[in-house]
Amino acid sequence: MDLSPREVVPTAPGRKRKRPWLAMGVLAAVLIGGGVLVFQFLTNAIDYYCNVDEIGVKDGCDVGRTIRIQGVVEKGSVSEAGSGRTEFVIGYHGATMPVVVGSQPTGLFQECIPVVVAGKVVEDGGTRVFEGTEVIVKHDNNYDAENADRVDQANQEAAACSQKD
Amino acid sequence: MIAMENAAYVVGSYVVTLGGIAAYAWVVLARARRAARQVPREDRPWT
Amino acid sequence: MTTDTRSERRPTSTTFTRWLGAAVLAGLAWLALFGLVLSPNDRVQKTGVRILYIHVPTAWLAYLAFIVTGVCSVGYLWKRSRNLQWDRVAGASAEVGVVFMGITLVTGMLWGKISWGTYWTWDSRLTTTAFLFVTYIGYLAVRDLGGTHHQRARRSAVLALLAVLEVPLVHFSVKWWRPLHQQESVAEGKLNGLMMFTLFVGLVAFTLLYVWLVLHRQRAMAMDDMVADQGLDAALAERREEAVR
Repeated sequence: MDLSPREVVPTAPGRKRKRPWLAMGVLAAVLIGGGVLVFQFLTNAIDYYCNVDEIGVKDGCDVGRTIRIQGVVEKGSVSEAGSGRTEFVIGYHGATMPVVVGSQPTGLFQECIPVVVAGKVVEDGGTRVFEGTEVIVKHDNNYDAENADRVDQANQEAAACSQKD
Repeated sequence: MIAMENAAYVVGSYVVTLGGIAAYAWVVLARARRAARQVPREDRPWT
Repeated sequence: MTTDTRSERRPTSTTFTRWLGAAVLAGLAWLALFGLVLSPNDRVQKTGVRILYIHVPTAWLAYLAFIVTGVCSVGYLWKRSRNLQWDRVAGASAEVGVVFMGITLVTGMLWGKISWGTYWTWDSRLTTTAFLFVTYIGYLAVRDLGGTHHQRARRSAVLALLAVLEVPLVHFSVKWWRPLHQQESVAEGKLNGLMMFTLFVGLVAFTLLYVWLVLHRQRAMAMDDMVADQGLDAALAERREEAVR
């Protein structure tokens, strides 16, 4: 029996080896996408935000640097500042920070809810103001039915929120 | 009962989920049918 | 309809999968009823909470699917006999896991828009989940790179054993780093009674769906392998004929 290597005939019907181009393309896209995700993880996710009381104290939470800050929207602090701007104050562990954003925050934005604001702290005549570009609401992990007997509880929590430290 | 506020997002998420699952299930069964044309019944151990 | 015609129209079906399929449809209808109609609105999130009943079960089932892929990969590599059945269940489970994880991401984005005010942000949970999703798309691509069935099984099993390590990374990402994403609700008992029940309905429905999809998919994969083997047998026979001539 002749078992010597056979000459390859590329046009032989049904003998064309299927090249996994699609799989290779997907794999290349996955490697690029994975790289982008690792980059975003290292630059954004690890230190996603600074708490209000860490500004100017913790490494990476410096004044003048683009960061995200986290705190609870103080009761009675939300107001329209004209030309579509919104002002409010956020507090965390006794520290507070006035915030100005160029738009009306969406989502569940309201008083007494934790938020994360992206932007930077600027010194304005000796006082610090956070100039925000994006407001993201940071809701908690409690889920309860919306009904009348819980309105009181909600009001109590809301009243207590600005005294929180 | 679902409130009107944000109903599009809520209903949309159910539609995307059920539609996505239906589409994937259809693809799985269609691929099985295609392969089955070349595999005799007696070669399928589950039948 | 005769049994023969039925088995050709649904070649991967058995009596068990037909009953299971009926249970899946009933479960999903039950979930839609509870999720959209019978469960209450949340005190803070209002109607947005209803997305939880699909977002959370699909995320958990995707984790489970990737763990099953890891376990089956060990099953394939462990025994010297190298049974390809392990490999096919691993592949089928990963594929279903990718579909579920995709649903988790899309429903999460819709939920994020109405509660956070944004579809996407680069916090630790979202970024690691996207990474897990992309990794298993890569796993499926690696399975399709060609070669023999055992070459495919070996390289994908090794990759699966590395990829499964990302599951705890995603799960604990909300504890290890500061996230925007909320912390655990279920284990800490932070869900109202009917909400918890609706989540349970979702979990049962998606678990049955996962089993149904994996059973069908791995049988389809078994037939694909048989078809490829037939092609190889034919090529070998042709080669022998040429050699004799």
